[in-house]
Amino acid sequence: MTGATIDHLISLTILIAALLVAMMTFNGLFASAIDYDRNRQIANKAIDITNTICLSPGNPPNWGQTNDTVSGFGLQDPKAGGYALSPYSIMRLNTASDDSQLVYYGGTDTYYNNISTSYGHAILTPLGDCVNYTTAAELLGITGSYGFSVDITPTLDVTVSPVNPEPLILNVNVTGSGLPLSGATLNYNLFHIDNTGPSVVVYSNVTQTDPSGSASISFDLGDHNPSYSFTVYVSLGGVNGVGYYTHNTAGDLPFVLPLIQDFDDGKIIIAHNWDITGDDRVHATVFCNATFFILTSDFQLQEYPLNFEPALLNYGEFKFFETQIPSSEVGLLVVSYKATGKLGSIILPWGFSSLGASASYGSGLGSGGYDFVATELRQVKIDGVSYQVKVSTWSLGD
Amino acid sequence: MRTVEVLFVIMILLSAFFITTYFAVLPSPSQAFGTNLRELSHSTLETLDAEGILSQTVFKDPKDPAWADLQKALSASLPPNIVYNLTVYDLSTSQDGVVTYSLEHSISDAGFGVDSGATSLLVASPNVTFTEDPQKIGESTGQNITLYILNCEDANGWWITGYTGQSLAKDIYNLLSPYFTNTMLVNSTSDFELLLDGTLLPDGVESVNDAVIINTFGEAVPIPSINASSYSDYADYFYVLGQKVNNYNWTWVSIVGYPFYYVTNVNSFNITQNDYGIYGMKKVDKAGAIAFLDGLTNNDPSGLATDIKEEIGVVGLSSYALDRCNYYGIYPNQNQTAARALNNATLLGAYNLVPLELFDRSTAYPNYIPAATYRNEGGGALTAIGLTRIPDIRITALAILMYYNPTVYRSEFEVSGTSRLVTLQLGQQGGA
Repeated sequence: MTGATIDHLISLTILIAALLVAMMTFNGLFASAIDYDRNRQIANKAIDITNTICLSPGNPPNWGQTNDTVSGFGLQDPKAGGYALSPYSIMRLNTASDDSQLVYYGGTDTYYNNISTSYGHAILTPLGDCVNYTTAAELLGITGSYGFSVDITPTLDVTVSPVNPEPLILNVNVTGSGLPLSGATLNYNLFHIDNTGPSVVVYSNVTQTDPSGSASISFDLGDHNPSYSFTVYVSLGGVNGVGYYTHNTAGDLPFVLPLIQDFDDGKIIIAHNWDITGDDRVHATVFCNATFFILTSDFQLQEYPLNFEPALLNYGEFKFFETQIPSSEVGLLVVSYKATGKLGSIILPWGFSSLGASASYGSGLGSGGYDFVATELRQVKIDGVSYQVKVSTWSLGD
Repeated sequence: MRTVEVLFVIMILLSAFFITTYFAVLPSPSQAFGTNLRELSHSTLETLDAEGILSQTVFKDPKDPAWADLQKALSASLPPNIVYNLTVYDLSTSQDGVVTYSLEHSISDAGFGVDSGATSLLVASPNVTFTEDPQKIGESTGQNITLYILNCEDANGWWITGYTGQSLAKDIYNLLSPYFTNTMLVNSTSDFELLLDGTLLPDGVESVNDAVIINTFGEAVPIPSINASSYSDYADYFYVLGQKVNNYNWTWVSIVGYPFYYVTNVNSFNITQNDYGIYGMKKVDKAGAIAFLDGLTNNDPSGLATDIKEEIGVVGLSSYALDRCNYYGIYPNQNQTAARALNNATLLGAYNLVPLELFDRSTAYPNYIPAATYRNEGGGALTAIGLTRIPDIRITALAILMYYNPTVYRSEFEVSGTSRLVTLQLGQQGGA
């Protein structure tokens, strides 16, 4: 009798243990399948979101060129179609991941979103006109269900470095995916800041990169310490890129900043940088001038006459100059200035790609902590310049 | 003794486990991400050809330096872990109409692993002008079929996230109007009332019979003000709408989601919302689709509110649909999420409708149809795209073109030297 009971107990214990092991094993098997299905849904959603962003202009289709409220989110260029993004819509994205990245100007009592390139050149857009991440997620229909971020970066890496000041020699180096791009056509422009005005004198020419992907370009300016900005547009086999460099004798920090005031009308204000940053290095009255150059489809520059007279701008008064550029033409607004007897320039790229800017949208939220992040990559053109768009998507559910 | 029996049970359990794991080869969760190379390849080809440089290069001699530039451009624009193989074929047609693809040139930078994706692009010689002339729908059968697109300014959409009904109307107009003799935008619910009365006619058209009506407002259907005030139960409105579709032999197209789920009129429902904060809309719920089907099939109103949908997950376009994508040059993502697939037993069994399906059915849900055009033998048809938002209007266009199957007359694109097919295969190094 006792033996039978022990037999029962042992067998029951082994049976329960075996059932538990079996349940755990099968559970693991099914969990893997469920994970696969959930990941596949995220991957499909990533494709969905990427297609919407890259292949739909949103609503209204030309929202990047207006101050209108956006009722449909998409970045496609409505004029070009296909994988071409609007150079204007991207300028209206609120790319700041926190308030410290915003620029406040007391003269207009407005915060500005800051899509920065280097050398102080930036696209500063009134925050109220920008589309923030929450709105974009709502318009995409993914609020609370999926998170996403968009990174827009130039395909080609074009670096410009000075070699000699007189004669001015600049070295241009072009790479793509880490490989040197030999035989590429370079359309370059030097904006030399002349002491009179101060005005901008443009020197343009075309050359090619050597087998190492480099080109050495020289200018005989007759100036031992020139102030200048240099832009170069690179083309090879259907891939295009942009590079630039600025040297200011007045110092690295620009004395003035151009701010976008109105997308519809192309109104730009030029403010004193001390009124924005309070930096003592720019604590001086500045004499400034503005010139706009339209960028044509073959990367040539055409000067556009602006209604702007060179004038003196004091610091601490929160006064600014206003000018109007053709809002439907991509180009470069070159603001030249003279302060403390020295010269400088700053460029507002009108059109996201004019100076090869890059932007991250929604990256401040971050995908950290999520099990699976689907990433979609697309090649796009933005006003002829080659870019890569990376969209990361993750599920906000459990 | 019982211990021995239990050991037998354990052996059976272990056997079951090993047999299951042997036969049920489940994919790893990390393999879920597998379609991006195809999309990347497509965007790469399109951007390389944005200024026509790819088209110029592929018609040049393989020794021309332009090929080296193209190879450098490809290497520079793709991430370092992506390998490629770009192949160019020349198209030619024999006397008996057989199209042959002969290899012209190929460039690549490495071998491929197991995981790769490819797309192709048909490029035309810069020296040749092509024409493409689609046959008008109804022309072959002597019917005068008009395309009506609901573009009502006084209606709101639902499940058309990212778009408005009006923006979708414009897109569908651009996609489908070349295939119709007459296309008309229905710009208000008052115009829609005229259409329901059979009096909204383009110039030279005598009746609204046989028309295609595309509802761009998603799960919501515009309702004329007079109907909004006269009906107490809007399922009755959908019943009458179904009858009209039957009587006029229309094809009614629902572009996304659960069809006939809401009625919309911003003036009549200005203080009513759809439970999600969208005003100008009233929920009819599941009774709407049943009522429409009752009307379409000339049955008495059943008054039922049966749920005929199921969320079945990701489905893939059928091989026939993919073939039609190539034929009409419409390329939506071939994998879509079906959140409102409709019940086979209801549509085919209870209502005897005949479906033309776009997607392969899910093996897990074989009794649910993701998207199809359902033809009623007695007249009329319903195209129901039961996919999730965000709507892809190209799926709707594909459904219509598959249903009517118009011919596209293309001029001499198969003459040797005038067109070349460029395929770009991408592979990912470092594992599948």
